[in-house]
Amino acid sequence: MTFIEDLRGISRNHVLTKKEELIPFISDASHFKGRIPEAAVLPESSSEVSRVMKLCNQYKTPVTIRGGGSSLTGSSVPVDGGLVISMARMNRILETRVSDGYVTAEPGVSIDDLNSHLARFGFFYPPDPASSMAATVGGTISTNAGGLRAAMYGSTKDWVLGLEVVLPTGEVIETGGRTLKRTKGYDLTALMIGSEGTLGVITRAILKIWPLPETTGRVTAYYKSIRAAGDAISELKSKGVLLYIAEFMDRLSLDSIRKTKGLEYPQDAECLLIVDVASTRESVDRQLESIGQVLKSFDPVKLVITRNSDEMKQIYEARKGLYSASLSLRDKPEDYVIIADIIVPPSSLPETLTEAQRAVEESGLKVSIFGHIGDGNIHANILVDTHNEEQLKKANDFQMKLGKIALSHGGSVSAEHGIGLEKKQLFQEELRERNSEISIDVMRKIKAAFDPNRILNGGKIFD
Amino acid sequence: MIEQEDLLAELRERVGGCVNCGFCESVCPTLPASDFRPIIGARGRVDVAKYLLEQVDQQGMSDIGISEAFYSCLDCYACVQVCPAGVNAGKVSEIGRRIVASKGTTASNQERPVARMIVEATKKFGNPLGVRRQCASWAEGLRFDEDSDTLLYTGNMYQLMAYNVSLTHLMSSLGERTSNFIAKLASNHTSIMHMTRFFVDKQLENQMSTYLRSIYTLLKSNDVQFNYLRENEPYPGTLIYDFGYLADFVEYGTRVVDLFKETGIKKIIVIDPHTYDLLKNKYPKYFHGFDFEVAYYLDCLKEEQFELMEDEVTLHEPCYFALREDTYGELSRLLEKVVRVEYPARSGKRAMCCGGPDEALFGDLSQRISEHRFSQLEATGRKRIITACPICYANLSRYGRVEDISGVLASHSKKQ
Repeated sequence: MTFIEDLRGISRNHVLTKKEELIPFISDASHFKGRIPEAAVLPESSSEVSRVMKLCNQYKTPVTIRGGGSSLTGSSVPVDGGLVISMARMNRILETRVSDGYVTAEPGVSIDDLNSHLARFGFFYPPDPASSMAATVGGTISTNAGGLRAAMYGSTKDWVLGLEVVLPTGEVIETGGRTLKRTKGYDLTALMIGSEGTLGVITRAILKIWPLPETTGRVTAYYKSIRAAGDAISELKSKGVLLYIAEFMDRLSLDSIRKTKGLEYPQDAECLLIVDVASTRESVDRQLESIGQVLKSFDPVKLVITRNSDEMKQIYEARKGLYSASLSLRDKPEDYVIIADIIVPPSSLPETLTEAQRAVEESGLKVSIFGHIGDGNIHANILVDTHNEEQLKKANDFQMKLGKIALSHGGSVSAEHGIGLEKKQLFQEELRERNSEISIDVMRKIKAAFDPNRILNGGKIFD
Repeated sequence: MIEQEDLLAELRERVGGCVNCGFCESVCPTLPASDFRPIIGARGRVDVAKYLLEQVDQQGMSDIGISEAFYSCLDCYACVQVCPAGVNAGKVSEIGRRIVASKGTTASNQERPVARMIVEATKKFGNPLGVRRQCASWAEGLRFDEDSDTLLYTGNMYQLMAYNVSLTHLMSSLGERTSNFIAKLASNHTSIMHMTRFFVDKQLENQMSTYLRSIYTLLKSNDVQFNYLRENEPYPGTLIYDFGYLADFVEYGTRVVDLFKETGIKKIIVIDPHTYDLLKNKYPKYFHGFDFEVAYYLDCLKEEQFELMEDEVTLHEPCYFALREDTYGELSRLLEKVVRVEYPARSGKRAMCCGGPDEALFGDLSQRISEHRFSQLEATGRKRIITACPICYANLSRYGRVEDISGVLASHSKKQ
C-alpha cells in the first residue's frame, strides 16, 4: 500500500491528487508560494483527522493545515509539499449556549457566518479581522487574529475557552473547557493559540460570546498631522475612556478610499481618526460628548459626531476594506500589498507614528499607514512588485526598520497576523532585543514534545 | 477571429490583479456544492488560470486539466461583488472555456462532448435540442400583429425548460461516460436529436406555456403591438457563446441577425434575463449593424395598472439581473408595487444563483446548488417564492412551489 492508497482508505471521496486540483493549495493571501503538495484531503470529523495524522506520522509526510487560506504571512503555504489538510468541510456550528456565554464551532466556520448565526440570539463573537468573510475559526485561532474591535475586546486569545486538538501523532485531546474559569495545569489552549498549525490540528473550538451592544456612536476627526491623532488617542486612554473601535488612516489611505468608495476628506487633512463607543443610549451620548471635547482640543480640521448607523457603516466598511482599497494605488496589477503589523503601548503612539512616517519617507516605496490605534496596533500597506528583488529587499528593510521602532518603544513586531514565513527574522530580532533568544529553544522543545517527527507545518514561526 | 495570443493576453489582464485573499470563495455557489474542491470555486479558477499562464510562459503549453474548473463556473458574478481587486472569476472562466473550445494551449483535447453536441444541434436546427416547432406551440390560437416593427422574442428559453429537466434527469441516470458517448454520437449525427422531443415534462411545459401567455396578455393589455415568429423563431445561441465556441457563435448569430433584418423589425422585446444580456450586451459587440432596440418586457408595462395586495412573497433575484452591470434593475421595485416582498439572506449584490447554468454539464452540482438556494428562500417563512427567469424557475421548482413574476403581475393587473 502507498501513502495515497492508505489515505483513500480513510477518506475515499475527499482525497485530491490531480495536479490542477492541488494548485490552489500552494498559496494563501500572502505573496509566498509553496510546492505543489502530493495530495490534499478534506476530512469531515476529528476522528478522520486523527486517522490521517496517524498515517502521516507513520509515513513521516509533511502536513500543512489550511483554513480560509487568508493568511498574510504565509502560515498555510505548504513549503515542504506533502499533504494539505483542508478544514473547509468541518464547517458546522455545533452548540450555541447564550446563557452560558459560549458557542462551539468547527474550525472551517467563517467568522462572518459565525456572527450571522449569533446575531439571531443578540450575541456576537468580537474578534473581527478585516478578512472575516474568508477567515475561519480555526485559522484565526492559529494566528491569534485581532481586528477593529480589539481596542475593547482584545484579540482571539481572549475569546477561546477550550479546544479539541488532534496531535501530530494522531491522539485527540481536549484543552480548556466550557467555563470562564478553570485550572488545569499548563494552559494548552493558550499554547495552541497563535501556534500557526505547528503543534496540532484544531478540530473544534469553544468560543466565548458577548451580547451585542445596545447602541454605538462615533466621533471622526481629521487632523493636519498623524502625530496629533496619536496624541489624541493617548489622552483618551489616559482618561480611561473605553473605546469600542479606534482607527486611524493617513492621507494615502484616505486617497485610496476616495478612489474606491468616493469618500471625500478635507483638503488640508493628513490623517483621519475614528473613535467609536458602545453602550446604552444614555451612556453613548455622554461619552460622545466628552470624547468630542478631548479630540477638539488637538485642533482638528474637521470633527463630526454621529449615531447615524448608515453613516457609521459606510466608514466602518471603508476602513475594513482599506487593504482592498490600497490595491487601487498599485502602479501595475501584478504588484502585491505586503502588510506590516507592529504594536506599541498606546502611550508611545505619538513618537512611534512620527518615526514610522519618517521611515516611510526614507523607504523609497509607496506605503500607506493606518491601523487599530486604540490598542496601539499600526499597519503599513507596502506596495511591492514581488518579482523585483530590489523592491522586495526595500520592503523587507522597511519592515525591519518599523519592527525596530516598535521594539524601541516596548512594543512587538507582530500584533495580529502571526509570524508565518514572513516575520521569522523580525521575530528573532524581537527575542534578541528582549534578551530572550533562548525562547526559540524552548519552543523547539515544545514542538518536539507535540510533534516528534516534525511533520506539522515546518518552516513556520522558526526554522 | 480571436487568436490564442489574444485570449492569453486577456486572461493575463483578468487575473493580474488577484491578491488571492479568498473573499470570492465565501460567495461562490459551486464551492460548497462541490464539497469544497478548490478548483470548483472562484479563487481556484483564478489560481488555475494563473498557473496555466505560468506554464505557457515557461514551456509554451500547459499540461493541466482546466475544463472542469472553467465549465463548472455559473457565470453568476457573485465573486466580483466582493473582490477587493475587481477580479471577475466568471470572466476568467469565460476566457478559459474559449481556450478549451479552441483546442489550443492545453496539451490534451479537453472539449466537453455535451457542449459540442449542443453547439452542433443549435447550428443544425436553430434550437439546442432540435425542438423548434414544439417551442412555438404555446402561441397556438393567439393573434399577433404581423405588420408591427416590434418583435416578441422568447428565444425558446421558457419552452426549452420542459425538455432540459427531463434530459438532465436522463443523463444523470445514464452516468457521465454513457452520456458523453451519446453526445459524441449526436454531434456527428445530429438527426439523433429528434429523439429529444419525446423527453418532455408535460406539467412543466403547460406551466411555461401559461407564463408565456401571461406575458402576451400583459403586453397586449398595455397596448403593445408586436409580432412573433412562431416556429421560425431561432434560439439566440446563448449556450454556444457560454460554452466558448466563439467562431460558431459568430457564424450562428449572423443567421439570427439576418433573420431579424429580413423581418424588417426595429425593436425586440425579450422575456428572460439570459437572452436580454446576450442581445443587449453581446450581439452589438459581435454583429455589425445589430442596431435593434432591445427591451425587457417589464419595461413595456405601465406601472399604474398594478394594484398592491396583501400577499407576501419571497423574491429570488436572477443573478443576470442582480449581479450584472448594464442590465434590467427594476425587478424588485416593480414587484414591490404589487406585493409585500421579503428577501432571503442572500439578496441584492449578494444574491445567489439558482445553479441552473451548470445543469447541462454538471447536473448533480447544479441540483445541490438549487436545493441550497431553495432552502434559503424557504427560510424567510413566506410560502410564495417568485422569480423572473425560466432557468431559475425550472431548477428551484424541483424543491417546492415557485412562481414566475409574469403570473403574479397578470393577477394584479387592473386591466385583467
